[in-house]
Amino acid sequence: MQANLHELEMRNVYAMTLAELADANANILVLEADLSKASGTNPAFLKAHPDRLINAGVAEADMIGIAAGLAVEGKIPFCASFTPFATRRVYDQITISVAYANTNVKIVGTAPGITTGANGGTHMCFADLAIMRVMPNMVVLSPCDCYELRACLQWMAAYPGPVYMQMIRMKQPKVFDASYRFEPGKAVRLCEGSDVTLVSTGYMTPFALQAANALATEGVGADLLHCPSIKPFDEEALIASARRTRGVVTVENQSTLGGLGGAVCEILAERCPSRVKRLGIPDRFGEIATEEYLFNKHGFGVEHIKQVCRDVTRG
Amino acid sequence: MNEAFDREEFDRLAGEFRYVITDMICRAGSGHLGGALSLVEIVISLYWRIMKTDPANPQWPDRDRLVLSKGHGGPVLYVALAYRGFFPKAMLGTLNANGTNLPSHVDRLRTPGIDMTAGSLGQGLSCACGMALAARMDGKRHNVFCIIGDGESNEGQIWEAAMFAGHNKLDNLIAITDYNKLQIDGFTDEVMTIEPLAAKWRAFNWDVLEMDGHDWDDIHATLSKARDIKGKPVMIIAHTVKARDCAAVENKPESHNIKVDNAEVHAKYMAALKRTGYSLPY
Repeated sequence: MQANLHELEMRNVYAMTLAELADANANILVLEADLSKASGTNPAFLKAHPDRLINAGVAEADMIGIAAGLAVEGKIPFCASFTPFATRRVYDQITISVAYANTNVKIVGTAPGITTGANGGTHMCFADLAIMRVMPNMVVLSPCDCYELRACLQWMAAYPGPVYMQMIRMKQPKVFDASYRFEPGKAVRLCEGSDVTLVSTGYMTPFALQAANALATEGVGADLLHCPSIKPFDEEALIASARRTRGVVTVENQSTLGGLGGAVCEILAERCPSRVKRLGIPDRFGEIATEEYLFNKHGFGVEHIKQVCRDVTRG
Repeated sequence: MNEAFDREEFDRLAGEFRYVITDMICRAGSGHLGGALSLVEIVISLYWRIMKTDPANPQWPDRDRLVLSKGHGGPVLYVALAYRGFFPKAMLGTLNANGTNLPSHVDRLRTPGIDMTAGSLGQGLSCACGMALAARMDGKRHNVFCIIGDGESNEGQIWEAAMFAGHNKLDNLIAITDYNKLQIDGFTDEVMTIEPLAAKWRAFNWDVLEMDGHDWDDIHATLSKARDIKGKPVMIIAHTVKARDCAAVENKPESHNIKVDNAEVHAKYMAALKRTGYSLPY
């Protein structure tokens, strides 16, 4: 594996990492529903392991069932599709054949939230973190860069149970490096500060980091917790930070209902009542538009994050 | 597997299955009687004459698998597994009780011998495809059997799985449609016809056989033939009678899920059975 992972698209890192894992473990399989090129597994994984990429055709429900059947026989299937089709379209199949039956299936939702670009509203799912995290037995992950994606995949291959992971397909700014090790249920503190707790995940973490760095130059100390693990969630890190700061701001490439912001509010309401502001998409469907337009429309870009953090700090 | 066939003994066993299943469901207060009774001869034939299994080692890697995709048929499978020795027969008295390992719909995590969880209709055939594909990848020679319902065949996912199995020529997959012609809301031809059923499966690149699902010889001959078919998955359309041999509800839509709220109703169902007088194992 080359050192400059961040120069690659995330989907290429997905395919390369799975190909490496498959070299070492004959049970690793890739399942696709006619989007293998979009997921990056075609050609990278397909070339390396032509007999271990199973295409279910445009039949996501069947793909999940096939994966569950493969898993009960000891295989480790990684199933990918666009986020809405990997989750909400097959919610009952994942609930029963994967989570309830506790089968070792890995589900990867690609192009999460607003990153689906020109596909527009039908393909923009803002609910996957929320709906997947209320499913018993399901682990929910949202890595922010190539190094974290790779570490998450390595962990998923070794973990014997259902996992859902959001995966951005395009290049992502470098946050970590090759030494990064993923720990489920742990947040990563990217900035230390005592004015405001800023909590982010996945696609929004580089933006949150940019906001936190800019705030530092203004004398506003943001304690930035990046949460690749939405479930299990690092309750202790959140509470420890919330106790030290004047308020908590969450930012995610998802609905403000039920996802990262929802999880943070549930935890704080019970264990550490705090002032909270949630940034993301406020109970709206997506639409065909640029990311900049959507950031501005819904108020969760870098400048919005900075302003809300300032507001919280000022009380 | 391959037990010597004694027609009288198998008839007696089928009668005992229906007696025990009906009593289990009546004791539980409600349950899916019709679709369990329609499968008695098929399930006995599978576990006594066709499938390779090892009750002492339910996870034996080389066993034949069975996915009961119409998961509500659990009770007939539980009786078969108990009588084959996968777990004590006394457990049969716990159907649907609090904390039971015998839930109405089959659960691989709770019951020894249950190969896959099912209950939300349409999903089991896809799982069976995955199991059959895994067997082929691993060079294993066992078969994967999958029983689906006729009402269940309304589900779109059944036809996604049909397409996948046909495309991939999963000839170690043998599916059986329990074609009792009834679903919850009425006769399948009135609610949502699945005809022409054989032509549908053939069109999805399956081999199709038909059998009388209550005739020992026909079941055995058809299942045996299905195992020998190469190059295609096999669908066996089993013509059955819902709630077979329980006169009170035989071939009636209300047999799908009966309510039994007192001893009188319980006694009525037991008395309605064609064969009675068995002793209960719990």
